[in-house]
Amino acid sequence: MISETGNGLSHFEMELQLKAQELVSVLNEGKLPDAMEIIRELHEFRHQTFFSEVGHLTRGLHEAIKSFSSELGRSLNIDGTPQAETDAAERLNYVIEVTEKNAHETMDRVDKALVLVDKLDKQSERFKDLLLLVGQLEKEHDSLKGVYDRTCAVKEESEQTISTLREELTDIVVSQSYQDITGQLIRRVINLVTNVEDHLVALMGMAAQVERISGVDMSIESDDKQTNNKNPIQAEGPQIRKEHADVVSDQDEVDDLLSSLGF
Amino acid sequence: MNKDMKILVVDDFSTMRRIIKNLLRDLGMTNVLEADDGQTALPILKQGGIDFLVTDWNMPGMTGIDLLKEVRSDPNLAAMPVLMVTAEAKKEQIIAAAQAGVNGYVVKPFTAAVLKAKIDKIFERLS
Repeated sequence: MISETGNGLSHFEMELQLKAQELVSVLNEGKLPDAMEIIRELHEFRHQTFFSEVGHLTRGLHEAIKSFSSELGRSLNIDGTPQAETDAAERLNYVIEVTEKNAHETMDRVDKALVLVDKLDKQSERFKDLLLLVGQLEKEHDSLKGVYDRTCAVKEESEQTISTLREELTDIVVSQSYQDITGQLIRRVINLVTNVEDHLVALMGMAAQVERISGVDMSIESDDKQTNNKNPIQAEGPQIRKEHADVVSDQDEVDDLLSSLGF
Repeated sequence: MNKDMKILVVDDFSTMRRIIKNLLRDLGMTNVLEADDGQTALPILKQGGIDFLVTDWNMPGMTGIDLLKEVRSDPNLAAMPVLMVTAEAKKEQIIAAAQAGVNGYVVKPFTAAVLKAKIDKIFERLS
């Protein structure tokens, strides 16, 4: 009899050679029914090997997807029901939100600064009236000689500074466009992650079918190992779900927690 | 250039809408409306009264290039000056925008000087 499904194609080749020799020898002896039996066995063996190989391939795929989905931050759902976006996509969306908020805060401050610059401009106008007065007084009092020209020079310098300041502030506003540029790129990555995930879910479904047909047992042992092995204090970067019970939402909560521990 | 002209700024990023609004304000143009994609922009345009359209390209709903085509195919809007301000930088895209009848094309990120120069150029040509 042919042995149980082998591990790999080398085993298949070996069995094939043995059976071929056996076939030749029974044919030489003229035992036709025996020869037919060997051919039947070969057929069956080929099927078994094929299923076994597909089964192993599927198991490999299964494991790869499991570890990938764990990287994404949550497990994929194999039944295909629609669900919220992955942690990965959620984190990326959060980046867009944070940068948008900060860009606006920066621009709020620039707007306030620009109001001050306008104020300086108006003061400069009022200064002009004062200068005219100085000009008149200079003619009447020798001791004021040269004051008008010197004051004019200061006024011009100050106006130049105001104009440069205005340009700098405008450049700060324009440079906030990084938020749009990075946001567009991040959105593309979010789409990519979501697409890859959809395809993986489909593959998982196919793999489950093959597993059933090929009879390869997908023990859930590896799943348990994965969840149990997750280190609870592994660095995760900024938390985006601050309302979560296991996450602190501000410094006060940190201090409370520490003081409750006796710090 | 008429400083009182009504301008519609279309971009899905509020940051960019605000940047463009600020730069227009520097040019003395404060009559500015906003929309976040072509779909919301089109009804505003069709209502009439808009003199100048500044639009992004890559937006959900209706893209800027489709909005431009809609504008050019509407007899009431066909003559409107349109400036595209976008991160799309492929030559093919710029050519397509030109063929669709864009009046100016500014690639993000841009400087204040570039945006102002393009706006000036559009209105120089029109007058």
